[in-house]
Amino acid sequence: MAKPTVILVGADKGGVGKTTVARTLLDYFTAHHVPTRAFDSESPKGTLKRFHPDISEIVDITSVSDQMQIIDTLSSTDASVTVIDVRAGLLSPTLRSLRDIGFLDAVKKGQITFAVFHILGSSIASLNEIEDTSTFVADSKYFLVKNFINNTSFFEWDQATHASYFKKLKDAVVLTIPKLNEMAYEQVELASVPFLTFVANRNQKGEGAHYSFVLRGYVRHWLGNVWAEYDRVKLTEMVDTSGSAAAASRAQIGGRP
Amino acid sequence: MPHTPLYIVASPQPRVGKTLIARLLIEYVLSTDRPLAGYDLDPKEPSLIGFFPKLVRTADITDTLGQMALFDQLVANDSCTTVIDLGYSLFDQFFAVMAEIGFEIEARRRSIDPIVLFVTDSSRATARTYDELKRSLRDTNFVPVHNESASFIFAQKDFLPSRTEYSVIRIPRLSPVVRGVIHRPNFTFRAHMEDQPGGPSEVQSWITAIFTEFRELELRQLMGRVTGSIGTRAALRTREAG
Repeated sequence: MAKPTVILVGADKGGVGKTTVARTLLDYFTAHHVPTRAFDSESPKGTLKRFHPDISEIVDITSVSDQMQIIDTLSSTDASVTVIDVRAGLLSPTLRSLRDIGFLDAVKKGQITFAVFHILGSSIASLNEIEDTSTFVADSKYFLVKNFINNTSFFEWDQATHASYFKKLKDAVVLTIPKLNEMAYEQVELASVPFLTFVANRNQKGEGAHYSFVLRGYVRHWLGNVWAEYDRVKLTEMVDTSGSAAAASRAQIGGRP
Repeated sequence: MPHTPLYIVASPQPRVGKTLIARLLIEYVLSTDRPLAGYDLDPKEPSLIGFFPKLVRTADITDTLGQMALFDQLVANDSCTTVIDLGYSLFDQFFAVMAEIGFEIEARRRSIDPIVLFVTDSSRATARTYDELKRSLRDTNFVPVHNESASFIFAQKDFLPSRTEYSVIRIPRLSPVVRGVIHRPNFTFRAHMEDQPGGPSEVQSWITAIFTEFRELELRQLMGRVTGSIGTRAALRTREAG
């Protein structure tokens, strides 16, 4: 049976570009023909769903019924990857909930591939956030994401401080999301389409649009650099492509003794 | 589909004759009755527009809106020869934007041929810049221009054209008196060619020589496309036969 992949995208403060990173992940897996679904926990309105309406659902990650909607369907969904965009400030509580319901045990047993994209803030407080998060991600892929899309300048940690935190996270990997031209970013926001769709000069209905060639070029170049980071950490190798979880599950029900 | 040239007259150095070369090129294209669009990208001293106020527009690519105003229009101009006089202060930014937005790919898709007329000089830095630019924009044609009035020395080995069918464009030196004549605001090369009775003047011979260089450049571009097309068809036939 194909092993599902779950990617949690979170931060402990707002405005660090968490949903933007989630959007680039959805585009990345789409481009690699990996069936993907997303859960947007910015209930009730949901920013992620605005850009990826066909594959996103808005949920309340703190509610048991919505947790069931996500976790209990991991084996039955056709999606190989589930991306969960966690509301700002709820990364640690969400990880705690996942631990409490046995999800992290399933990860430890190798039944689920789990990755956390922790979008960092610019202050030294992020280091404490990393320490909090690290206790939950021992058996998972842990990505620390410096998002420069907003032209953030990150606290320059000195070597000793850096080492004291990062030595506790032997397998943590730092990813860098480069800056995107502000006007290009704004236009994608206004168009309310995935980055890939904007580059392809299509609107929400898939029809030809009239976006600026210059802005499309900036987005294409930026997205290429973001995906180069995902290629560098071999993100697609986290995905079990031997068949979707549902297809495998159906075969198990129908054919095998 | 016919290809539309997009000429970029450029140099990383000031005062090497870029605007004069752009003027000459514009008047050459106009003399062939082809539609043309001109852009003056010199924020400090936009002088090309002074010679062609109805034909040339200024452009400021220091911000995104200015880049959109220029490059979005350049890709839309797929049936109109374009000449850009690129001010030296915008040299790096122009080509950086061109590379980042994937202009070459879109230009190829629309049968637009970007051609950089790179005005050379004797400095090693300029030669290095030429080489680096050719390597970063591999789908753009580079033709070196030797303006003898700006620099007497020309090191051919430092400024090889990007394709073997191209050769250096030579702008011969003018005497100071004649230089003063052609720099008058109302002077046009075409009108001067038409108005002078009798034998060819120094200016007429000079203009004729330069227009011949431009005509030769266009013929070489055409030959290059025809040769390339024949080569492609031959390769296809070989593949099909094999």
